[in-house]
Amino acid sequence: MTGGTILRCWLALMVLLALTTGIAFIPLGEANLFVSLAIAATKALLVLIVFMELRASSSLIRAAAASGFFWLMIMIALTTADYTHRTDQRAPIDIVR
Amino acid sequence: MPEAAPDTSLGFQYATAAQQRETVTLGMWAFLATEVLFFGALIAAYFNYRIWFGAEFIAAARMTKVVLGTINTGVLLTSSACMAMAVTTYEAGARRTPVLWLTGTATLGVAFVLIKGFEYSLEYQEHLVPALNFDLARHGGIAEIFFMFYFCATGLHALHLLIGIGLVAWLATWIGTGRIDRSGSTVRLIGLYWHFIDIVWIFLFPLIYLAGRNG
Repeated sequence: MTGGTILRCWLALMVLLALTTGIAFIPLGEANLFVSLAIAATKALLVLIVFMELRASSSLIRAAAASGFFWLMIMIALTTADYTHRTDQRAPIDIVR
Repeated sequence: MPEAAPDTSLGFQYATAAQQRETVTLGMWAFLATEVLFFGALIAAYFNYRIWFGAEFIAAARMTKVVLGTINTGVLLTSSACMAMAVTTYEAGARRTPVLWLTGTATLGVAFVLIKGFEYSLEYQEHLVPALNFDLARHGGIAEIFFMFYFCATGLHALHLLIGIGLVAWLATWIGTGRIDRSGSTVRLIGLYWHFIDIVWIFLFPLIYLAGRNG
């Protein structure tokens, strides 16, 4: 990490912050959420790769850094899949009983 | 021939300083992975509430203070850049420069907490604090659920930041007075912790402040 790299990364983060705030006020429907999350992910990657030095780290460290986010994706996917498919209707087996 | 003095900074279980450095870094990332899941559970809850309650939940997000939130995001991102500068200058062997950058980091951290506190006080005046003075008749139950999430998420984030400010202040003092062990990884590890707090906020910001701004 050099001072120049840090400065460029900071500038990129500021531009992305302005971009995401600006886009939030433009009506895009559901796309607003996905655009803001995509920009957030880009900002997080910049911090991870440059500030947290994953660019210069070994594969072991990179894998450890990715693991938390990987498990989080599983947690969010399974929780959301469960709750979005719940229904008030009774299952056939409960109707028979 | 006198024996070479043993390197006291190297743990007895390590063969080389590089191995020790990688091991402690790995340990820090393992801790940060648990933190990802800790804050991630809150974010998973947010997504489910947002899917269940839809428009009403998003409408509640519009009551947050977007200008203060955006300023705070800028403050925190800048503090992270200062932290990165502190680590870089420290590892290059400087003594005074990293202390200055760390002071900048801690000051921006304090500024963030003060702005957050001001925001909380505004929300208190608007009767938006669940369990304290939430006005159910005025704002509705779904808004209360949103603000429950809001205060849990930002409160836990602020708690992490306060711990971070304490660590950075301690670090600046120890580097400044020359008491720090130069061969150790303390500076880099505290840096990783600080950047992690930044990443949590990067995701909280669009979910809390930017939701429903064009509705």
